[in-house]
Amino acid sequence: MKRFTALLIVCVGTLLFSVQASAGVDIKTWQTSQGSKVMYVHSPELPMLDIEVAFDAGSARDGKQWGLASLTTTLIGTQTPTMSEEEISQKTNALGAKIGGGVDRDMANFSLRTLTRESIFKPSLELFKESLTQSVFNPDIFNRERQRLLVALKQQQKNPSEIARNEFWEKLYGNHPYAHPVSGSVETVKALKLEDLQSFYKRYFVASNATISIVGNVTMKEAKAISENLLQSLPKGEKPAALPEPQPLKAAMRSVIEFDSSQTYFRQGQIGVKRGDPDYYALFLGNHLLGGSGFGSLLMEEVREKRGLVYSVGSGFAPMRVAGPWLSYLSTKNESAKEAEKVVGDTLEAFMKSIDDKHFQAIKDNLIGGFPLRIDSNGKIIGYISMIGFYGLPLDYLEQFPKIIESLSKEDVLKAWKKHIHPDKMVTVMVGQPT
Amino acid sequence: MAVKMKMIKKLGLAVVLVSLSAPSWAKISEFQLDNGMKVLVKEDHRAPVVVQQVWYRVGSTYEQAGQTGLSHMLEHMMFKGTKKLKPGEFSKIVSRLGGEENAFTTANYTAYYQVVGKQNLEKVMKIEADRMRNLVIDDAEFNKERDVVTEERRWRLEDNPRSKLNEQFNATAFLNSPARNPVIGWMTDIRSYQAQNLRDWYKKWYAPNNATLVVVGDVEPQKVLELAREYYGGYQPESIPKLKPQIEIEQEGLRRIELKGNTQVPSLQMGFHVPSLVTAENKREVYALSVLSSILDGGESSRLPQSLVRDQQIAAGVSAGYNATDRLDTLFELSGTPVNGQDIKEVEKALLSEVEKLKKQPVSRQELERVLAMDEADHVYYRDSIQAQASVLGSLISVGLPADTLDNWIENIRSVTPEEIQAVAQKYLTHDNLTIATLYPDGKDHSNIKAYTGRL
Repeated sequence: MKRFTALLIVCVGTLLFSVQASAGVDIKTWQTSQGSKVMYVHSPELPMLDIEVAFDAGSARDGKQWGLASLTTTLIGTQTPTMSEEEISQKTNALGAKIGGGVDRDMANFSLRTLTRESIFKPSLELFKESLTQSVFNPDIFNRERQRLLVALKQQQKNPSEIARNEFWEKLYGNHPYAHPVSGSVETVKALKLEDLQSFYKRYFVASNATISIVGNVTMKEAKAISENLLQSLPKGEKPAALPEPQPLKAAMRSVIEFDSSQTYFRQGQIGVKRGDPDYYALFLGNHLLGGSGFGSLLMEEVREKRGLVYSVGSGFAPMRVAGPWLSYLSTKNESAKEAEKVVGDTLEAFMKSIDDKHFQAIKDNLIGGFPLRIDSNGKIIGYISMIGFYGLPLDYLEQFPKIIESLSKEDVLKAWKKHIHPDKMVTVMVGQPT
Repeated sequence: MAVKMKMIKKLGLAVVLVSLSAPSWAKISEFQLDNGMKVLVKEDHRAPVVVQQVWYRVGSTYEQAGQTGLSHMLEHMMFKGTKKLKPGEFSKIVSRLGGEENAFTTANYTAYYQVVGKQNLEKVMKIEADRMRNLVIDDAEFNKERDVVTEERRWRLEDNPRSKLNEQFNATAFLNSPARNPVIGWMTDIRSYQAQNLRDWYKKWYAPNNATLVVVGDVEPQKVLELAREYYGGYQPESIPKLKPQIEIEQEGLRRIELKGNTQVPSLQMGFHVPSLVTAENKREVYALSVLSSILDGGESSRLPQSLVRDQQIAAGVSAGYNATDRLDTLFELSGTPVNGQDIKEVEKALLSEVEKLKKQPVSRQELERVLAMDEADHVYYRDSIQAQASVLGSLISVGLPADTLDNWIENIRSVTPEEIQAVAQKYLTHDNLTIATLYPDGKDHSNIKAYTGRL
């Protein structure tokens, strides 16, 4: 039991933001001859290596076939021309390697963690390469994994928190490719065919659509060789077309879903900004104070500490390829739902009117003082560089972040919030029996 | 590639522990202050960052019926002010330093931590030491925080039938041992605490000689020791109550419960009583059980995912787990969820048939080698996090195991033989030593949204 568990509102990489310049993350970048972008940081202290390969192949590329990106990602690496599923898993485990995959709205990504000891390193890399680039889509595995996904989706329909999450995205994004759940729905997943996955794989899992990130105990020369080799057998292909810009809501929207649960699950928000938006720094700083920093934030103080209404409450931006959401969230017993909603609204309103100096300085101190913590492990560093590479942020993004935070005034923050945040045009979702 | 990196998470510390044994670059300095407080320091100079953790030997297995969850409630109150600090001020100080902080309570211990830039270690040590002896539990603050904990329980348990199943499973498997207590406490117990109960609990357990300080990061051990002497060293030791034995009675026949809940998909949880590294007379049995757990569910190539999910295709998910470092006798657990159209009873049968195979046939050398390779690799990967390194040390010391337990772990695992695995399976994984809890859909409409009810 923890005193506080933050709700994970956004996907891998998107909460990440910044780093102390002096602590130094020396990022090198280059393109492979196949057109993949490479990001590399030398970190020789531990005898291990992390690789992440991100493709612009998230659920925003599903079209009407919701769940396509997700199920394709699951199937990749289950079989190759030379290895059965069982052989792949046995080899992976016998090397002590960790091979994983994940998908969100923007990207599908694959990771390898391996020791750099000679006897293990080469076979691990070969295994990762083959499972990523030579994937065979076996109909039996497809049917099995689709069944497993369907069980999970069916289960989600009884989970008030998941229902609230899906409803929020749907109401906020309407017909935009971000609107549907990453894993799809029971109906759409049932309709998927093996051929659909194969053509999705052929279209999107191509070298020029990939960002390769490498952190660990390899020299730049070795990293160059690794990156050149890794996706060699994938066709060069083409980057997909840009996603459409989502349209902000014209009026407030409210959705209450009756659910027989002891708590009401609340989400409220609107369309925010995309990665790389110049206003993001000021918005982020303000949100950190409003609801993004646990016990340092106003929502926690007002809703939990002063009134005891919730266990967890917070707010956050999820900047994405195109504008991602900003939202506040909480869950509270049904009888307190309306009261909690009001406190959230009042807190936001007061915050957007004025920020007191003491709070403002404290939150800046938190961000600037906390920078070294954000890059204290290979696992965290690869998260950042993969994000910087994938979203095309400047290489000195990490270095600049604390400097920009330092330079922002209260007025800058309020100006950005007033420009982007419109409390009268938000989506409000409540799942439960709010009274 | 499905998300396959569940191993560390699954077994919690039991597996993290596997991954630790300490090579030369991971020296641990161990001290004891004059007042009995233990101090452990591990240097990790990769980043200018340090973690401080303070562990108290008190948790849900220290609690009596009617007052379950008291340790967890006290953990919440530890942020509510001292003679010097106002309610919430502790967190604000840490936040302003750019630090991350939190606390956690388990069956075995309660721990508090802060991660900060190394120049701020002294500042967080000062306030952590302050709340070791100077906590103020104000009635009004307490009442509000009790509401927060009831919300926490609603969120974790009341609206989550699988967590509920786990809670009731545990209380069925253990009849007289306090291992049956839920960490968060039963709802009626939470509602009936008074502020004075918390003050008494604090007074009883929060003393330097019942605590361990762990510091990992860019520090020098001697300097940390000096700081520890300055901030924690001045407190007098207290007499710490000795717990009654409450050793779980022997189970003499299968136990089974059912729970009906708001779920679309049934699931089940099973457990056999087994010793832990703390309680075992023969420690080799613990190493054998750990390997056995990995044979069943350590990586995608292990037996449960291979057999039940991929070959037989009767389960959507399966797992096995063993908390080797619990303070009291513990459980070897199995769990599973059927794929659509499969009976939960078939999943139960298939899990038990995997157990029977282990009793009849020795495991292969290749399987053992795979388990060992994963453990050895994990023990390098794990060093990427100073938090994880500190947590393993603190958890070991807090249940009475020596800090060097881990130095020998890989070696002990390596020496486990197929015969030893077979022997522990035959001895512990028996029908009469088994508890099974099954969650079934309650068949009610919980919502006005139309759930999918057709064939999958």
